Amino acid sequence: MADASQGKLIEFKGASLAVMTAYVRETDAVRLADAMHMMMGGMPDFFAGEPVVLDFSQLASTPDWVDWTAITSLLRRYQVQPIGVRDLPEHLHEGARRANLALLGKEGLGAERPIATPQPAPVPQPEPVAAPAPVPEAPPPAEAQPASSGVAPTLIVERPLRSGQQIYAKGGDLVLLAGMSPGSEIIADGSIHVYGPLRGRALAGARGDTSARIFSTNFGPELVSIAGVYRTFERGIPPNAAGRAAQVRLIGSGNQHTLEIIPLQNDY
Amino acid sequence: MARVIVITSGKGGVGKTTTSASFSSGLALRGFKTAVIDFDVGLRNLDLIMGCERRVVYDLVNVINGEANLSQALIKDKHCENLFILPASQTRDKDALSEEGVEKVLKELFHMGFEYVVCDSPAGIERGAVMALTFADEAIVVSNPEVSSVRDSDRILGILQSKSRRAVEGREPVKEHLLITRYSPKRVEEGEMLSYKDVQELLRVPLIGVIPESDDVLQASNQGTPAIHLKDSDVATAYQDVVARFLDEDRPLRFVSYEKPGILKRLFGGK
Repeated sequence: MADASQGKLIEFKGASLAVMTAYVRETDAVRLADAMHMMMGGMPDFFAGEPVVLDFSQLASTPDWVDWTAITSLLRRYQVQPIGVRDLPEHLHEGARRANLALLGKEGLGAERPIATPQPAPVPQPEPVAAPAPVPEAPPPAEAQPASSGVAPTLIVERPLRSGQQIYAKGGDLVLLAGMSPGSEIIADGSIHVYGPLRGRALAGARGDTSARIFSTNFGPELVSIAGVYRTFERGIPPNAAGRAAQVRLIGSGNQHTLEIIPLQNDY
Repeated sequence: MARVIVITSGKGGVGKTTTSASFSSGLALRGFKTAVIDFDVGLRNLDLIMGCERRVVYDLVNVINGEANLSQALIKDKHCENLFILPASQTRDKDALSEEGVEKVLKELFHMGFEYVVCDSPAGIERGAVMALTFADEAIVVSNPEVSSVRDSDRILGILQSKSRRAVEGREPVKEHLLITRYSPKRVEEGEMLSYKDVQELLRVPLIGVIPESDDVLQASNQGTPAIHLKDSDVATAYQDVVARFLDEDRPLRFVSYEKPGILKRLFGGK
């Protein structure tokens, strides 16, 4: 396998990069220039070409129009390299795109697409067609649906997860359509939905989201955790939930969080 | 189109080699030109079970290293016209297997007109086992009705999904079959053993057969005759069913229910 990859002149791989964020609260280039001058006056090369994502979530007021050329050239004067924007009001997207700025999801780089899959997503094989007539191609069913910007993506896994396998849904929910085996591990920044047996370790809200939940149609995990609050089942799964449809959620507030396991009412 | 089938399990002693011998014999009996390769480099059991241990001159590693050509190393089976055995090396270790080497051997077998190549995997999840499954089109995962065996089978299914060529290249995944061996309906009835339904539910892989626990298996391997050739044996019938199902024939499951012995049988004995 090593030989094969050496032959490639370009290779694309998912990566998580730490990148500086600039919270832009004003889009008027002149006022921004003043502010930058006040802040950076004596050190025009402080940033030394550092890449920066412009975050507009703290915008004081929403402008109708933004002079992207002015803003980017202002930043470049201070050797800041703007690479993308996030949390930008929808009507400003087109302008940012034209200024060659990437539109990023809420979570930043890479959040637009799922990062981790245990195996390369199977490429749907086109059905052999006997007739030479052109057949309109259906869009290939994607394993993970890239969500529209701003909405966290959901990672969907269609095959059973086996002992020793691990999967991480970065920034969003994880849906398992064929269940998981003992000794496997699933992690999601959002909620976890398992249609089928939940048998290994399930960790939802991995980045601290206390509202994340875990659902399964056949509950029987080795460990569950939400936002770091975990529980093992050495003395067995609660009998009212074992092998049945159940959910796990976090109750309480502040530092007083406890996990609650409740059977789902629409049990079948 | 030639197909590569790996017989694998993760755990040792569950019946991989017995299954490889009988399954490849069954395919050959159906008229398919079949080769069976022992990937258990260093241990070498398949030739014993096939009864050809005295005829081993060259082995898989010799062929991979170019010390012998394939036709010299292939041993013709004594029972079936269409079956050839490629034995493992006794003296080397598993590092002697290279992916390129194995691929070369498989390609050459296809050129020679083999329709099925059965790869007998060693136990474990190390190099030998991974080499055996790398080029598989289909996998028969052998499991005993017992939790540790089921867990190991699950693990090997995961490896199949991540390390097989089909997975790496993103092609259609390896077709998985579950074979449960050493099954004792009596012990299932008594609650000492997982039922085949339990195992299937745990692994969620289509069942290709259930082989009953039987002394015939031991007897067959001591004789060097694959169990499928035994006369009047449930094991032989069960393996024939497996081959039939593999070839998409419909066969109902047999030897999975326990009938209490009647009063006469209990009085007068008998098996």
